[in-house]
Amino acid sequence: MMRYGMVIDLEKCMGCHTCSISCKMQNNIPQGMLWNRVVSVGDEGLDSVEGLFPNVKRKYIPIACQHCDNAPCQKACPVGATYYDENGSVQIDYGRCIGCRYCMAACPYNVRVFNWEEAERHPDFNYGDGVVPVRDVGVVEKCTFCKERTSEGLDPMCVECCPAEARVFGDLDDPKSEVSRLIRERNGEQLLKEKGTKPKVYYLGLNGEV
Amino acid sequence: MTIKTKFNLPTVILGIFAVMGFSAIGYQLVNGLGVTGMNNIVSWGTYIMLFMFFVGLSAGGLIVSSSATVFNIPSFKVVAKPATILSTVCVIVAAGFIMVDLGNPFRMLNLLLHSNFKSPLMWDVMVISLYLVINVLYLYLMTREKPNQKAMKIMSSVALPVAILVHSVTAWIFGLQIARGAWHTAIMAPLFVASALDSGLALLLIVLVLLATFKVFVVEKKLITTLAGLLVTFVAVDAYLLLSEMITMIYPQGEAMHHAEVLISGQLAPYFWIQVILGLVVPLAILLFKKNREKMRLVVFSSALIVFGVLCKRIWLLFSAFVHPNIAEGQGITLGYNQPNIWSTVGTYSPSLVELMISVGLISFGILLFSFLAKKILVQKSSQENQFSDKEGKIYSMVKNG
Repeated sequence: MMRYGMVIDLEKCMGCHTCSISCKMQNNIPQGMLWNRVVSVGDEGLDSVEGLFPNVKRKYIPIACQHCDNAPCQKACPVGATYYDENGSVQIDYGRCIGCRYCMAACPYNVRVFNWEEAERHPDFNYGDGVVPVRDVGVVEKCTFCKERTSEGLDPMCVECCPAEARVFGDLDDPKSEVSRLIRERNGEQLLKEKGTKPKVYYLGLNGEV
Repeated sequence: MTIKTKFNLPTVILGIFAVMGFSAIGYQLVNGLGVTGMNNIVSWGTYIMLFMFFVGLSAGGLIVSSSATVFNIPSFKVVAKPATILSTVCVIVAAGFIMVDLGNPFRMLNLLLHSNFKSPLMWDVMVISLYLVINVLYLYLMTREKPNQKAMKIMSSVALPVAILVHSVTAWIFGLQIARGAWHTAIMAPLFVASALDSGLALLLIVLVLLATFKVFVVEKKLITTLAGLLVTFVAVDAYLLLSEMITMIYPQGEAMHHAEVLISGQLAPYFWIQVILGLVVPLAILLFKKNREKMRLVVFSSALIVFGVLCKRIWLLFSAFVHPNIAEGQGITLGYNQPNIWSTVGTYSPSLVELMISVGLISFGILLFSFLAKKILVQKSSQENQFSDKEGKIYSMVKNG
């Protein structure tokens, strides 16, 4: 069976936010929200650093839905609008969501975003490849591992566009896949592992931070 | 009857509030939940806070009236009717707050069509529906010409555990979430039950004294004193559980300290300390003494403090889990609104005007519904018992003089 997963190499990531923007374009995400964001460890600002000059270091961590195997959001949804698809990824049925936002409270990673108001876009029309469904006001949305692309055998848009080639997408159940090999050989770590959510997104070079 | 003139002006004002609230609901339906102050970090706000609060308030009534039969405390039987009306109205208001919080209320039927029984929210939908049905049935049984004692007995034996279950399940909506350190504690359900018992009973006491003031329903002073004794026990249990929770969070000086700091000295400190001092310490100091429990004015004053304290507790309880996201690294989280700065690393929230109007409107509707039901169910009885009017007068003056 397929079990889609992703590896993000933080030693390659240079914090260019191309993944965030390509994701926003591909998935027709309105103004004011992102499915995929790049945070930097340190203070509150953009491109923040850890430590005091000259002993500083900088680390970028791209964060989107972790597609947990034990997803708290899936258990929380009272109407089953959040579900696991045939590849183990966590998906949302936008037509079923009642907008109670319990899943947002349940997600330890704050990766779910809500359509609080009528979507505004710059430019003022739907962008992306046209296959991704448009979401209504009052529903929750998040990263889908670009299911419209991956079902065609393509990589998710963030993987496709990352200029540092820091992202790899593949089958975690296949020990010979590149994702499995990287996790094995380079000690892939999960975010907030102690929560027991069993994410399918692994980070290389996280060193237990976050 | 003097009731009409006395109820009139407040009724008009409450009516206006209710109409304003319902128009605000219409406005929110058209424009989406963006008209509230909620965002992607603080994704629940006033509505859910008041939902918790009103579920709790509905406890007092049903627990007092059903324990009259279950534990055979005949003196409580007198207040069973107003208590159950209060309980019913509070749970209806609570359900109202859940409905206005939905982003897609027109899909509410999905709760029945596609129930996910792994969700604590689904459990709550079921148990609150059951609770409402029990309240209404119980009220129906009580208001029969000749109440069927056997049915009443069975009903109240069901009502009591269901009441406890309602508050526990509501607590588990929050307490079972591993994502939210501030909520994730096994003591959440007992804490909810304790707060529900003290705020619910305090509200019942206020309402009983008010009903006596408006000569709608008469209770003996002695019963108020007995109930105040029960109330002080509940407040003490609530305080004890809170102490137990706080000391467990603080003592190790570990990860949980992060959440404790928000309450002790952080953004939510005002609500926390108001609850501790005005909602627990002061009422305890007053009601611990029997001679204070005999003074109606002090009982009502302490009850009002307790209700207000529990409201503050609902505020800090809900929002403490949203202040610091688990991963709050540089730039943070997108808030979900098309505005110049879409980012934040901490959760901030203040209710919008629409949110306040809807909340005030729903509460006003609840008060109107209560006074309507109280007049319908209670007044006919007391008008038949006009011979007790001098007793009523005595209680009225007693209330006025404290």
